[in-house]
Amino acid sequence: MNIVTDSKYMIPHQSPALERGPAWLREKRRASQTEFNELPLPRRGLHLWRYTDPSGFMAIPDSADETAPSENYKLVEKLELDHLKSGNLEALVTDFGGRDIKVSRSGDDVTKGLVISSLSEAANSHAELIEKHLYSLIGGSSGKFEAMNSALWNDGIFIYVPDNVEVKKPLHLLREAGVEGSIQYPRLLVVVGKNASLTIVDEYGGGSSDFRNGQSYSNAVVEIIAEQDSRLRYISLQRQASGMQSYLTHRAQAQAGASILTIPLVFGAAISKQNFGVLLDGKGADSKMYGLLFGTSRQHLDNHTLHHHRAGMTTSDIDFKVVLRDKAMSAYTGLIRIEEDAKTCEAYQENRNLLLSDSTRAQTVPELEILNEDVSCSHGATAGPIDPMQIFQLQSRGIHEADAVRMIVSGYVQSSLKLVPEDLRERISEFVAHRLEDI
Amino acid sequence: MSDKSTLFKFDNISVTVEGKQVVNSVSLNIKRGEVHAIMGPNGSGKSSLSNALMGHPAYNITNGQAALDGVDILGMAADERSRAGLFLAFQYPLAIPGVTVANFMRTALQAHRGKDADMADFRKLFKKKMADLSIDPTFATRYLNDGFSGGEKKRIEILQLSVLDPKMAILDETDSGLDIDALKEVSKGINEYRNNNNAVLMVTHYQRLLNYVKPDFVHVMMDGRLVTSGGPELALKLEDQGYEWVEKEFGQKAEA
Repeated sequence: MNIVTDSKYMIPHQSPALERGPAWLREKRRASQTEFNELPLPRRGLHLWRYTDPSGFMAIPDSADETAPSENYKLVEKLELDHLKSGNLEALVTDFGGRDIKVSRSGDDVTKGLVISSLSEAANSHAELIEKHLYSLIGGSSGKFEAMNSALWNDGIFIYVPDNVEVKKPLHLLREAGVEGSIQYPRLLVVVGKNASLTIVDEYGGGSSDFRNGQSYSNAVVEIIAEQDSRLRYISLQRQASGMQSYLTHRAQAQAGASILTIPLVFGAAISKQNFGVLLDGKGADSKMYGLLFGTSRQHLDNHTLHHHRAGMTTSDIDFKVVLRDKAMSAYTGLIRIEEDAKTCEAYQENRNLLLSDSTRAQTVPELEILNEDVSCSHGATAGPIDPMQIFQLQSRGIHEADAVRMIVSGYVQSSLKLVPEDLRERISEFVAHRLEDI
Repeated sequence: MSDKSTLFKFDNISVTVEGKQVVNSVSLNIKRGEVHAIMGPNGSGKSSLSNALMGHPAYNITNGQAALDGVDILGMAADERSRAGLFLAFQYPLAIPGVTVANFMRTALQAHRGKDADMADFRKLFKKKMADLSIDPTFATRYLNDGFSGGEKKRIEILQLSVLDPKMAILDETDSGLDIDALKEVSKGINEYRNNNNAVLMVTHYQRLLNYVKPDFVHVMMDGRLVTSGGPELALKLEDQGYEWVEKEFGQKAEA
């Protein structure tokens, strides 16, 4: 079945999602509903929406059915459960359609104090933390679609690492969208305590695999609070099926001395719009983003990054790499904003686009809003095909042209993957190889 | 095996780059076991000839024939020429970020042997060749030419020569950018590669590599033509007297 979209859609007062959770949460949902209903569609004139039509994300939730997970989901779940059993993961959390949250932890090897649960449970068991942090970075006033998620999310995932706790193994979140006709609003809240450390792999899969038979729709929100001197590695993998219309907003706050590494990996969906932002809110905070996007066929992939320096002596670095083939389209807009009183900051941004065919399109828009002069800041962008001299050099050693192209592209993506946990890196390398099979 | 049979022969090769003629009707007959040197001033067309013979897409061979071991190579793509036994050591090898030297060498050797060929001996062979050329073993896992010094790049080119063991090696300015120790190592690698069944064509501006790898024949290139040939003594004369006398005797300086 197909999803109904309506650019004038209003969330009705009797929407059952608004009744979920304790009183304070219901209030937040109501407020978000009001914001959503009052906010106009984003203006196309803004950089953020210049390349993607917002009306495509105005799916009417009442038109959705609850559907079963795809076959592929079971395969990946089994793979990750095996990783858990063999001791490579701290925990596996499966999230079906933003509704059914299941936590599997390694029996005897659990990090003490680490909380992993559904948001609905945590709203009772960790009421204070949830009330303090949920909606603190993304809520009704963040934007039209953020308000939609904030009003309508069903259930989500909550992770809390207490102060000084080091979680050694990665935590894997496996989110599965339903097949055609499904709508989901995944939500994640992560709080990393003072001087604590954590690695999260946040994987989004599933969805309709044939756009013509009907789409499926996902609108995800990720909020991360990295408290003083904490260290977080957050890998976001979007490998949703080819009939998916996908929206994701991420905001992470780095407090004084905290360092956050964010790795957005974008492979899936028919239309994907993502917005990754780190707020550098305390002295000495550091954020690095190493993204990789690989588009094929007619995929439309739109990514925005934000590094917002709101405190002095903060540093940020972005390297966002894009590979496109067939008729795929990528739009990358990257904003660096340094506030007037945020002195002695460093901010770097680079966006490289490797175009494997003539019919691809790549947009790259760096945006700098630097409000003081005591900063070191640079940005760069490139777009073009593989250097034919590189191909010739490999060919001159007997390597077939297509193999030379595969080698060069696989090499090009390596720098984005070197900080990804090894198990996942292998899978990503396989994705890349698979996308280059018929080149 | 007939020792002195022709290995690589090209006739009347003319080359254009972006429509401009850079090599004009050059011929050479290289026999097994021989070392030839093409010397000439900068811009004389030496590198253009080398790249064109290897199948560089920017160099267009407009006329002539070339046969390796009796097989016409001009209809072949660069990878086929390589698998037929031709090798070019580049003057300016490019970096391939993310591709390790070991992975690259393994892929190249596999391409030469065929995709189903056994590669069980690769690790051992590769290690030995690295050791022979005094290349630090850590280079195996470094990305090809990524951040390498000029000398390191040239050594890795000779490592490729040594692992692939081609019939015919063209070395384009392999001595440029090398200090004396690196020059000795690289020369040692070339001499170890040489035998009675293969051949070497060295393209160089200076004579100094020829002190270490002794040529049987020296050819002088000028304005896209081979203008004179001789034995090793010709290289010494060029070292001694420069290229001026060649220009006077054979030059057809195009006046603008």
